[in-house]
Amino acid sequence: MKISSSILTILFLLRVQVSLAGGGWPQEKGHGYFKVSQWWLVSHQHFTDVGLIDPNVTNKLFNTSFYGEYGITPRLTGIIYAPFYSRALFNSIVSGTTGEVLVPGEAINSFGDTDISLKYGLTPKKSVALSATLTLGLPLGNDRGGSQGNLQTGDGEFNQLLQIDMGKSYKLLGQNAYANVYAGFNNRTSGFSDEFRFGVETGVQLFDNRLIALVRVYGVKSLKNGSLADAITSTSVFANNSEHITVSPEVAWKFGKNWGVSATAGGAVYGRIIFASPAYSAGVFLTI
Amino acid sequence: MADDDLPNFTLHFKSPYMKPFIIFLFFPLILLSACIGEDVIFDFVGASVRVSNPLDSLAVGDSHTFEAAYFNEVGNEEPADFHWNSSTSEILLFAAEGVATGIAPGTALVTVTAFQNGQPVARDSFPVVVGENTVMSGGTSRTGTIRSTSSYLLKGSFVLSEQGQNLVLEIGNDYEASTALPGLYLYLTNNPATNVGALEIGAVKVFKGAHSYTIPEPAQLSTYKYVLYYCKPFSVKVGDGEIK
Repeated sequence: MKISSSILTILFLLRVQVSLAGGGWPQEKGHGYFKVSQWWLVSHQHFTDVGLIDPNVTNKLFNTSFYGEYGITPRLTGIIYAPFYSRALFNSIVSGTTGEVLVPGEAINSFGDTDISLKYGLTPKKSVALSATLTLGLPLGNDRGGSQGNLQTGDGEFNQLLQIDMGKSYKLLGQNAYANVYAGFNNRTSGFSDEFRFGVETGVQLFDNRLIALVRVYGVKSLKNGSLADAITSTSVFANNSEHITVSPEVAWKFGKNWGVSATAGGAVYGRIIFASPAYSAGVFLTI
Repeated sequence: MADDDLPNFTLHFKSPYMKPFIIFLFFPLILLSACIGEDVIFDFVGASVRVSNPLDSLAVGDSHTFEAAYFNEVGNEEPADFHWNSSTSEILLFAAEGVATGIAPGTALVTVTAFQNGQPVARDSFPVVVGENTVMSGGTSRTGTIRSTSSYLLKGSFVLSEQGQNLVLEIGNDYEASTALPGLYLYLTNNPATNVGALEIGAVKVFKGAHSYTIPEPAQLSTYKYVLYYCKPFSVKVGDGEIK
């Protein structure tokens, strides 16, 4: 695990993902879901290795990203998550006694780590939608930015995530609703610990299906089989062995037949070596 | 003016994708908050004068030249002028600044005052016994206990000693530190709130048990007041230990 691996972890986990389009349901052939969004996190504290919250210099992360799903066949869906503009920075540290800038703040801008996935529907047209997804995490971001190498827009490692999703639609007070659960194994390289990922999500459509309200609870459990922190050349407080359980509500409003806007907030209720501040995102989505 | 005469500002979107595209153009406004701000830290430690070669006693008829250093309110050493004074010149006499001579048996209180721009900025006092022998005080080592000031595990004891021309920091067998912090560094400092102005010893590579560091540059035993464990990349203080 490297430095900002924790940052990366956050970038990956709290990114603007799925909305209605994810879960156990692959896209129909020729159909798609696309989203451009802005995600940001500002944090001056983090969960330590024992789960308590300690302060740190204020870090800010911003991602402008494209997310797309497209049905290649009735069962196979291609997915991409590409943060095409990532900005990471930390504040200057100023002496409260002299007013002198002790440590100047720094910032980097770059392309971020990108995920490409293939989702395969295992139970087409069944009441319970089951799918398997293979995601490749491409280290396209900068994992050693800044004068100390402590600014990242990527973790510098190539990871492979195999995930199983199971979803089911249902009626909630007469409204269309759905629920989805998933579990996955993330094989990481370059000394990073492998991870077990899991989550549950449920949502409901209201006002003639114009409003979609949903909530996700998801988490990461590190297998702690990577390198020790001091063995990683790229260092950070937010590094390997990050763990968390995050609650993230989202609302989306469809303005037209095939497009709308969405807003998300997410904050960890449990964490180890990860920022302890909420992340937000806002996006515009299109369906075809 | 009739309504029909009002200018029409309605936007006509020829493409179904134009509306969402225009909305997306507003997103970069969020980046306006992506500027580098300032975090203020409390780093006041108080100005001080430190005598590097104190005496326990001075023989009658002997002379000793005291040396002192001034540290400002954030613990950084700065140049200063020093004025030396004896509470009883019949026992201990300063014939020149810093040069003390034992006159008669007894105890005198020595006061050293640091001046910058003609203004006193710090003062220290200590007793000196004038007697039969001249005895330097302080010895050749100092000790302390490492404590965590965060929720990361950090504990142990240490000895800072002069060994030949070098200073050596020996960490005791009771030492233990969290392995979860990448970028954990060890410093000697006079301000435990920050690593700025501190002497960087190096990255922490040992997380349990006894080990030692040879201080990489000339430093006197009395120069620093604390050992400091600091997560350098994210400017997080992990722990410290006062050197006594």
